[in-house]
Amino acid sequence: MKPMNKFKKYSMVPMLAAAVLLTGCEKEEEEVPEEEHDHEVITNVHLIFTNVDDPSDVVEVEAEDHDGEGVEELEILDTINLDASKTYDLTFEILNAHDDHDDHDDDCDDCDDEDNHDDEDDHDDEDDHDDEDDHDDEADDIGAEIADEADEHQLFFGFTNNIFTNPEGDGNIDDASHDVVYNDLDSKGNPLGLNTSWTTSGAYEGGKFRVILMHQPGIKNESSSSKDGDADFDLEFVININSLPIVAIGTSAGLE
Amino acid sequence: MIIRLKFILGILSLLTVSVSTAQIDSCNFSVSGKILDVETKKPIPFVSVFIRGTEEGTIASENGEFLIDGLCSKTNTLIISCYGYCDSICEHSHQHGKVPHIYLTQNVVNLDKIIIKAEVNKKEGTESISQITIEKSELKSNPVQSLASAISDQPGVSLISVGSNIELPVIHGLYGNRVLVLNNGLKHGFQNWGQDHAPEIDISAANRITIVKGAAGVRYGPEALGGAVIVDPNPLYLSEPFFAEIGSGYQTNGRGYNSAFEVGKGGEKWSYFFNGNYNRIGDRQSPNYNLTNTGKEEISGGFGTRYRGKKWDFKGYYSLVDQDLAILRGSFAHSGDAIVRAFNGEQPDSAYILPFSYEIMEPSQKTQHHLAKGELKWFYSDHGNITYRVGRQINHRKAFDVRRNSNLPIVDLTLSTVDHQIEWKHPDWYKLNGTLGLQYFYQDNDNIPGTQTTPFIPNYNTSRYSAFVVESKRIGEDILEAGTRIDFEANNVRGREANQDIFRDEYSFTNLTSTVGYVKNFAKINTFRTNLGTAWRTPNMAELFSFGQHGFRTSYGLLRYYYTDQQKLKTDKVSSITDTDVQPEKGFKFTNELKINKTYSTHTVTIYSNYIQNFIYLRPFAVVGSFRGPQPVFIYDQADAFFAGGDYSWKVDLSKNTKGTLGLSYLWSRNISQNDALINQPPISINYKFVWRQNNFWKFKKSSFIVKPLYRLKQIQAPRTVTPEQLISGEEVILSDAAIFDFKSAPDGYFRLDMSWQFEFKKLQGSITINNLFNTRYRDYLNEMRYFADAPGRNLIFNLNYKFKTKTKTKTKTKTKTKTKTK
Repeated sequence: MKPMNKFKKYSMVPMLAAAVLLTGCEKEEEEVPEEEHDHEVITNVHLIFTNVDDPSDVVEVEAEDHDGEGVEELEILDTINLDASKTYDLTFEILNAHDDHDDHDDDCDDCDDEDNHDDEDDHDDEDDHDDEDDHDDEADDIGAEIADEADEHQLFFGFTNNIFTNPEGDGNIDDASHDVVYNDLDSKGNPLGLNTSWTTSGAYEGGKFRVILMHQPGIKNESSSSKDGDADFDLEFVININSLPIVAIGTSAGLE
Repeated sequence: MIIRLKFILGILSLLTVSVSTAQIDSCNFSVSGKILDVETKKPIPFVSVFIRGTEEGTIASENGEFLIDGLCSKTNTLIISCYGYCDSICEHSHQHGKVPHIYLTQNVVNLDKIIIKAEVNKKEGTESISQITIEKSELKSNPVQSLASAISDQPGVSLISVGSNIELPVIHGLYGNRVLVLNNGLKHGFQNWGQDHAPEIDISAANRITIVKGAAGVRYGPEALGGAVIVDPNPLYLSEPFFAEIGSGYQTNGRGYNSAFEVGKGGEKWSYFFNGNYNRIGDRQSPNYNLTNTGKEEISGGFGTRYRGKKWDFKGYYSLVDQDLAILRGSFAHSGDAIVRAFNGEQPDSAYILPFSYEIMEPSQKTQHHLAKGELKWFYSDHGNITYRVGRQINHRKAFDVRRNSNLPIVDLTLSTVDHQIEWKHPDWYKLNGTLGLQYFYQDNDNIPGTQTTPFIPNYNTSRYSAFVVESKRIGEDILEAGTRIDFEANNVRGREANQDIFRDEYSFTNLTSTVGYVKNFAKINTFRTNLGTAWRTPNMAELFSFGQHGFRTSYGLLRYYYTDQQKLKTDKVSSITDTDVQPEKGFKFTNELKINKTYSTHTVTIYSNYIQNFIYLRPFAVVGSFRGPQPVFIYDQADAFFAGGDYSWKVDLSKNTKGTLGLSYLWSRNISQNDALINQPPISINYKFVWRQNNFWKFKKSSFIVKPLYRLKQIQAPRTVTPEQLISGEEVILSDAAIFDFKSAPDGYFRLDMSWQFEFKKLQGSITINNLFNTRYRDYLNEMRYFADAPGRNLIFNLNYKFKTKTKTKTKTKTKTKTKTK
């Protein structure tokens, strides 16, 4: 009898202590991970060319990879059509637009509908759109993040030789010393490229315009090139320079 | 009943009699003793005791007593084989006229009674599986190495790594969560998905490491498809004088420094220890350039306590490991161009080779692992006991990438693991010896918000209920062993898609695993063990839910892609596991080991085959245009795989003080459903270890000089090579049924030489080790950094330990050198 009591007395203490300390509070957790504003993924890049003499004259082109890191291909949605002998400021809108299955149709009026949208037939509304589905549909502005970390980024440009009078040449992707007109600098005086200037030359059809955003943490300097660091995007557009309509002087009807 | 076996007395000239005071003309030395179990103090009957170097031997009585006479040498080495226990070897010095009882693992307390205390082999259910044990003394020369590194020169074992700081053990070609890692009796609860997560275990706190090279699923649970690595902590022996040990070390490659301490004491009824360890290493160096961002910082510590009552025994442990690990900066690339440059270069981009620094920058990992465990053993009778084990682990892991806002982690997870286990070691029933057990295992994984990226791994809870029985039966001198286990596992998953939609899933699996094996002891000292065992594992969260780029690979988990009716692959939704045919992996492993002990040598041959159904692997699918340029894309898939191979080890006593061990490992493996190669399989490896022990060498009481050459062949079974350039340029087209490929050919074979001198000087123990003596430039096929940089060059490691022990209170002490080697 006695040994049994002693056993009971002494064994209960460590066992209880163990049970309490070790198992702790085991609340049945069914928590869902919180929504994150994913700033790593880019889904849309807009290039916005604004005529410096007429701010209402804007040419905007877009590249889109609507499923982000999914298996759908990147699409260059537009061709750049600029007018000859004009000067444009090029700015960017770089977004993570959270491809939401419902919203997707609305955004893409002018994009290819065939392959990309059978998913709306296949997908089950139950899984994806619970009551708790609390994500906001606003796109994340990655461009702002890039501007914040200007001394770790630089945009490089490449284009068909001499389709611009300013900058001349074929851009600084192949050679970092070639001309590109940067309007913005980082804190160390090195160019960033979210705002650049372009003066078109004469008419040209079927040219190429390539822009690369390089992420260069710790290695960006005055001589860093498109070969230093890692590209966050690398886009090539077809560019057409269109000659201006000829206005006949002295006639009563203009060409419209 | 004493069975006395009469052998022909060895001819005197065959004996290795050294600087002997032995009287070689009269062989009238004898040794006798009594063998007891270290835990219960009960005699171990029918132990076979042999004198190494002679044919003399006997089988102990039912009371564990033995007597061997007619010995010609005063100093003898005894080989003790215990059925169901481990082999032990100790040297024994005869004390004339006395009946010595010999200690194996503890100090001599009594002159009169030296008792052999053989450690009970606690690995019930794995007796018939080939095993290797490494003792603490073998780990001392490099206390900061990883678990994988400490065991990787054993035959059949290698390591797969991502640089020097992340190393995972490989058993017979399997690693990650196909090798179960047990730390202090508990499955180490960590983020063991991906090749870049290593178990957070402090080697300097380990007392012994056992490598089980077969399907050990019945005894330990899922994931032991290749085998298990079992790390045992300080055993908290009773009746141990107070000891304090402090050690410190320095290594030249990485300018690393470390220090550790351990204190402990065992009374009659209680025991405790405390330990702590700190180490810091800076950037490593390959022979020609710095490996920038390969440093590491680690703090670990723990304590244990034990109390023994009359019929029960309680042990409690706590340990903490906190690591900060850097990953080679030059290995990081996201965009096609950068990937091409990183792979093509003979060395990392010069922008990423910087002067030496201890700083740990992106990419890096920070982990913290807490483990608390209590174990209560109740000896309700002389022949049986019940053990209750409870454990709690908390694992925090953060991964940092080169990204915007690089101060934010890209992965931030907390994983909590709870274990409750009850085991009943029942008394002998009709010559059956075994254990029944019940286990409850619970894990809760949560993402910590604030990473500004979509969680890579969802939140999940896993509950597993298990029951097992392992039995062994002695048949003459042999053992028949069998066991079975049932697991029921339920999972509940909650995650976010890239567009932040929530996905959920709930699924469960029930699985039965079995083992049957036989141990045949023949010619008294040779053994043959054979085992056929099954094992299983559920696919891990990365294999199910990966989405997008992780490192330089873009991959999709088993539940993140599906095929439309037109056979087009889409990744725009998360499938529920029950809607797919995703199955757990199930393995069948057949291992055979033959061990032949000759007079001066031991041969050990292991031959195995392993068939794994639903083997999960990554295969290329296409090259897809993305913002970052064309990216090769991989999908997780399942197929049947087959592994077969052999390990051979040959230990020779070249002379009284020297011995050599040759080791050989070979593995053949294939994806048999696709008739394709498997990637990252260990190539043929040949290694040798030469040891020269010399006592009283100059001023050093003890001294060992070790030379370890290693030759690793080029892996000729590697998959075809397709470079990133060929993919991105479109030169190589990847179709949906493409065979797997590697971005770079397997590196050439290499030769490496390591040497070490270990010494004892009064109370100091130390070692000087040189790894890669010739500063060889090489790349190891199983190191992911082989794509980008060479392996580290020469490394000199210095270690010094001071051990202080209070004297025992007993009258005199005999100098008994004990060297325990367990099978």
